[in-house]
Amino acid sequence: MSMRSQVYEWDASRGTAATESNAGNRISVFIGGIGNNITKPAETTATEFVVIEDIACSPSLPVGVNSAFAAVDTDAIRGLTYNLVGGVAGGRSYVQVRINTTDYFLDPDNVPNDGIPGAASPYPRTIDFQPSFNLYPDVYVLPGQVWDMLVTFYNCEGMLFAGAAGVAAATSAIDAGQLQAFCKYTLYDGPDALIANKLLEMGISINPGNVDWYKRSLLASQV
Amino acid sequence: MSMRSQVYEWANLAPTGVTSSLRRTTADLPKALVANREYDLFIGGVGNNITKPAETTATQFIVIEDIACSATLNGAVQIRINTTDYFQNPDVTDMVGIPGLASPYPRGSSTTVVAAAVTTAAAQITAENLLKSFDLYPDVYVLPGQTFQILYTPLTATNASTQVVSAFVKYTLYDGPDALIANKLLELGVTINPNNVDWYKRSLIEQQQRGAAAASAAAAAAAASNGGA
Repeated sequence: MSMRSQVYEWDASRGTAATESNAGNRISVFIGGIGNNITKPAETTATEFVVIEDIACSPSLPVGVNSAFAAVDTDAIRGLTYNLVGGVAGGRSYVQVRINTTDYFLDPDNVPNDGIPGAASPYPRTIDFQPSFNLYPDVYVLPGQVWDMLVTFYNCEGMLFAGAAGVAAATSAIDAGQLQAFCKYTLYDGPDALIANKLLEMGISINPGNVDWYKRSLLASQV
Repeated sequence: MSMRSQVYEWANLAPTGVTSSLRRTTADLPKALVANREYDLFIGGVGNNITKPAETTATQFIVIEDIACSATLNGAVQIRINTTDYFQNPDVTDMVGIPGLASPYPRGSSTTVVAAAVTTAAAQITAENLLKSFDLYPDVYVLPGQTFQILYTPLTATNASTQVVSAFVKYTLYDGPDALIANKLLELGVTINPNNVDWYKRSLIEQQQRGAAAASAAAAAAAASNGGA
């Protein structure tokens, strides 16, 4: 069990639920104090190597403001909450990866941005919401590094707080499933983490197939 | 982190009183778009923008791998490198680029937002799920020192009930030593992607190892012949 496929799912409604006051702020899915969290920051030990292979968050759907009808709080388009104010169904959410203190996703002017839009990498994936983005090349978290996933949402009108879209009190808790994030990564530990480091030095992509290839080539050289 | 997958998403959303902003906010509202006008996603003055034109430094190399936009408003998206538009008509005249119908964003979205009075929110969009007909292959290279623009052109203006449209570009940023390797691959006529950059690194390492082995063998042979003399 020294190469293990891992998944982390975050829902803003679990634990201390997100409220409207969290909109526009970056929330750590691990230790942000909102939603389900873990006990300490995500970090690799000296004998661990993490390869992040996919990230995603709740989708959004640009629609528009149609003042011809009176929207109600429970209006939905393709399962996403929709209200007239912002013209977008869903939370306009984004997910960023941070390694130590460096944000991974940048704008073309080299300024860190909000990250991958849920519209480009939706979670969950459905026929209505399909991915435009795949995380390639993968993101490597080297031994001893701290990493984080940061979620930002902007459109409270596109999510339900205590059953109402953006009109509830600022302290109302977000409903289940309205804002989620997902991360798929592979954890290499022990000897496999050493091999992962070796592959990194050699300029070879780190994946289970290449780690196995390196092991086989070591065995072949001993025989 | 010298090869990084990057994404830029634009929407015609900005706070009240301004047409564009550098940061997304919770108070963003849709902004009106004019038909047949090119909107630069980066510095076009509408929606979310960045601080300066998108350009590569001397140590950066960008490979654009996907572009897409909303199919509503009959939108299309074009790539411009310095002053040259990438997509052209067969008669080499200018065109608006890849239609959102061919490369929709978000994928699975509908073709139309219904502007007329409707009774429910769900009726605002049509029922189909658009899939992509277009794949940006071969990729588009932005060489060190070049400026690039992604231009969104709606063929229909937003109506009184302002619509929200968005556009998307996915690219890989190579910087530092990996940008040098990308340039070398370009010279060699090899496709630039993370796999091939890694392959070039491996071949350099192997070359060095062979060179070191040959040098040590030569030194050993020289020492043996000196000792024998």
